[in-house]
Amino acid sequence: MEDDNSPPPPPEQQPPPPPSHTGSPTDFLKGVVGKRVIVRLTSGVDYRGILSCLDGYMNIALEQTEEHVNGAVTNRYGDAFIRGNNVLYISADEPL
Amino acid sequence: MLIFSVFKTLTDQQVTVELKNDLSITGVLKSVDQFLNIRLDNIKVLDEARHPHMMAVKNCFIRGSVVRYVQLPAEHVDTQLLEDATRREALTQVKR
Amino acid sequence: MDPSSSGIQEPFDLIRLSLSERVFVKLRGDRQLTGILHAYDGHMNLILSDVEETIMIVDVDDENVTAGSKTVNVAKRKMDMLFVRGDGVILVSPPSRT
Repeated sequence: MEDDNSPPPPPEQQPPPPPSHTGSPTDFLKGVVGKRVIVRLTSGVDYRGILSCLDGYMNIALEQTEEHVNGAVTNRYGDAFIRGNNVLYISADEPL
Repeated sequence: MLIFSVFKTLTDQQVTVELKNDLSITGVLKSVDQFLNIRLDNIKVLDEARHPHMMAVKNCFIRGSVVRYVQLPAEHVDTQLLEDATRREALTQVKR
Repeated sequence: MDPSSSGIQEPFDLIRLSLSERVFVKLRGDRQLTGILHAYDGHMNLILSDVEETIMIVDVDDENVTAGSKTVNVAKRKMDMLFVRGDGVILVSPPSRT
């Protein structure tokens, strides 16, 4: 149950502006390799890091990875392999 | 295919299969197939008090997909051989 | 394919370069492992030795749910040689080279 004097929910974070170019999902993925990305898993956990590479199963290799759970950093990995079936989305974390 | 081969070399050895429902079964590995389905003989359930219905069961077939772990007899696993075979298999899979 | 910074062309290269090294594995069901990697395949089935498993058992205290108070119990156990079925794997991290 919601507590009566709980603070109002924080304003929704503004999504980054959509990329200026249009293209296929594959074009997007090619574009973000080497860039900072946010990978969200179906569990709700986020991984933020530099996208080294990915394959057709959406298996992902990340560098300088931070694991975020509910907004807090819970782990850091130099390199991380994420099994593709867990991936909900990949989002660019810097302008393309 | 590689892991299938590993299991084949371990037939007639004692292993402990831990299922995704937390049931652990120790037994003699009688056979394995390409899906890593497993047949065990002379089985013993780890926590019999919690699984009394398993007490009369002497052998079983385990569907590969319900397995979480298999504890292997370390003395019958040649780790150097495994690593070499894994590198070899990785080479053949690169040209997908 | 572009020869990027670390010479890794596909994600599995990261795993291949970790053979015979101690790796960290995050699994479904609030489990994690560390162990020495000896084999893997395309499903991320793994064979590890000298394994330590950590299971996080989170008990949310009913009376303090709003306060976010929860007690995390951790169970650990060791195993000599372990096959891990790939479908439970979420993340594999090689030893940090930092």
